[in-house]
Amino acid sequence: MKLLILAMKNLTRNRLRSVLTIAGVAAGMFLYASVQTMQHSLSVATQSSADDTTLVVYRENRFCPSTSRLPEHYLSTIKRIPGVKEVIPIQIAVNNCGASLDVITFRGVPPETLKQYNPGITVIDGSFDDFLNRTDGALVGQHLAERRGLTPGDKFEAVGVNVTVAGIITSDTPQDENVAYVHLPFLQQASRIGLGIVTQFNVKVDSSDQLQAVSDKIDETFQADQQPTNTRPEKAFFAETAKQMIELIGFTRWLGLGAVFAVLGLVANAVLLIVRGRVKETAILQTLGFSRIAIGVIVIIEGVLLGLIGGLAGVIGAMGFFKFKAFTLGNEGLTLALTPSASVTISGLGVAMALGLLASLYPAWKATSRPLVESLNA
Amino acid sequence: MNPLISIKSVTKSFTKGTTTITPLENLSLDVPRGEFLSLMGPSGSGKTTLLNLIAGIDTPTSGEILIDGNDIAKLSRAQLTRWRAEHVGYIFQLYHLVPILSAYENVELPLLLGNLGKSERKKKILSALDLVGLGDRADHRPSELSGGQEQRVAIARAIVHDPELLVADEPTGDLDRESADSILNLLDTLATKHEKTIVMVTHDPKASASAHRALQLEKGQFIEEGHLLTHA
Repeated sequence: MKLLILAMKNLTRNRLRSVLTIAGVAAGMFLYASVQTMQHSLSVATQSSADDTTLVVYRENRFCPSTSRLPEHYLSTIKRIPGVKEVIPIQIAVNNCGASLDVITFRGVPPETLKQYNPGITVIDGSFDDFLNRTDGALVGQHLAERRGLTPGDKFEAVGVNVTVAGIITSDTPQDENVAYVHLPFLQQASRIGLGIVTQFNVKVDSSDQLQAVSDKIDETFQADQQPTNTRPEKAFFAETAKQMIELIGFTRWLGLGAVFAVLGLVANAVLLIVRGRVKETAILQTLGFSRIAIGVIVIIEGVLLGLIGGLAGVIGAMGFFKFKAFTLGNEGLTLALTPSASVTISGLGVAMALGLLASLYPAWKATSRPLVESLNA
Repeated sequence: MNPLISIKSVTKSFTKGTTTITPLENLSLDVPRGEFLSLMGPSGSGKTTLLNLIAGIDTPTSGEILIDGNDIAKLSRAQLTRWRAEHVGYIFQLYHLVPILSAYENVELPLLLGNLGKSERKKKILSALDLVGLGDRADHRPSELSGGQEQRVAIARAIVHDPELLVADEPTGDLDRESADSILNLLDTLATKHEKTIVMVTHDPKASASAHRALQLEKGQFIEEGHLLTHA
């Protein structure tokens, strides 16, 4: 504790240098935490878990919503397959199939079955009844509404589809925060796909161990049909369909690694400068009886503090940025909400602290390895 | 009574490039407890080397340095550090106070190494500052003190943990005459009234004259033993 106080006071000696170092660390850790947020969000969206019970039925060999066209009457056939709990036909219209940060996705669904299929949806502004009563009504995800400045009663247009905002929704499924739910027949007509055609069916099965059997049965059922299907668990569907986005996010790993090395170099350089500027003073402290370990600990605490303070600023900054800016990556009609998480925050702070520690090991050794008489005469 | 410091046949040499330099050769010296000893000599005579050996900052090439009967020449670097923390107070020519710390915090530094509680530390620090006449300057930073006051704080730092041995390297070398005299009086008080054994290196004959005994070093050897003062 006594050494901690001494180390903290030491950091106030050259305030400009400390502030610049902390700012540099904060910038690096902001980038690192942003990359980790993307990776974590992708991981949540694509890694299957024991709770997964949703299948996506898509047109075989199609990857873009504009090319996946399935007859809506498949609905009744799928419903009859053993193990199927709920089915919802979905028509998707999207303004951009490529990987993009500003994707608007309309999901056309039978309005009366939306709540039954997706009970996690909560209307936070406007009304669900307005949505049911207006054929052009839309339930807009909270993040999309914030991004576009939409409130109930507003009209907006995208992909040639004009809708009226009936309500703003939030959901326990992050993807719902970035889409606009509209009436299925309305979207089929407005997007000129035509009535009776849908992009996909989302199927809920009774239990996760039935996923494989049900998907096999669905594909087998429509194998000889004019529109054969490819049915996959929702997360596998996401991982296979949004490849462009996944590759893009995969690349960001290198940016994160670069940020880590930048922070490491920055803190190491700052602590080395600190140590070099205090050669004589370090010798004085040793003359007073401070052990090499005590001196080393002071130097390491300074490095860890620089890393931790900068890391705190960078990681909290990144979390705040993602919380308030509500970024969404879209690809092939799928959306990936970049949502801040506690695990990324904690791991980011841990990494910042570890980098501070690692960066100050060599300077700490350097500070204490020189012969005392030589340092006193420096 | 055994002397506090007993140096026996000490030689210190080191290599610089291809040359071997021997600042001290086969030197012996006894310093009784409570003595205020001054070491004088020209630059390169070995006086600071001898002071560093006595303070346990450096180790001899050969010979024994017995402090209170313990041969510190045999201690490892870590053991020497612990020994210094308990037994030695060092006073530097340029004070070397930590600029970001107040006088109080500077004096506290040697006490941070021990297990004393905050209130015990406070008592010792204020007592040391009072002894050097700076009880009212505890909250001042070095930049807010005069040179003489800074050296007094440095002396308080050197005595706060109550070491039996004080070593001073040109303690008045950077001070005006008045401040220097005041510091020398303080060192004399510490030796006579508080029974500290003081070894001081100086270039200043007047400073040397204020010590109980003065030794002249030249080329690593004592060449002259000076006055022996008696104090009441």
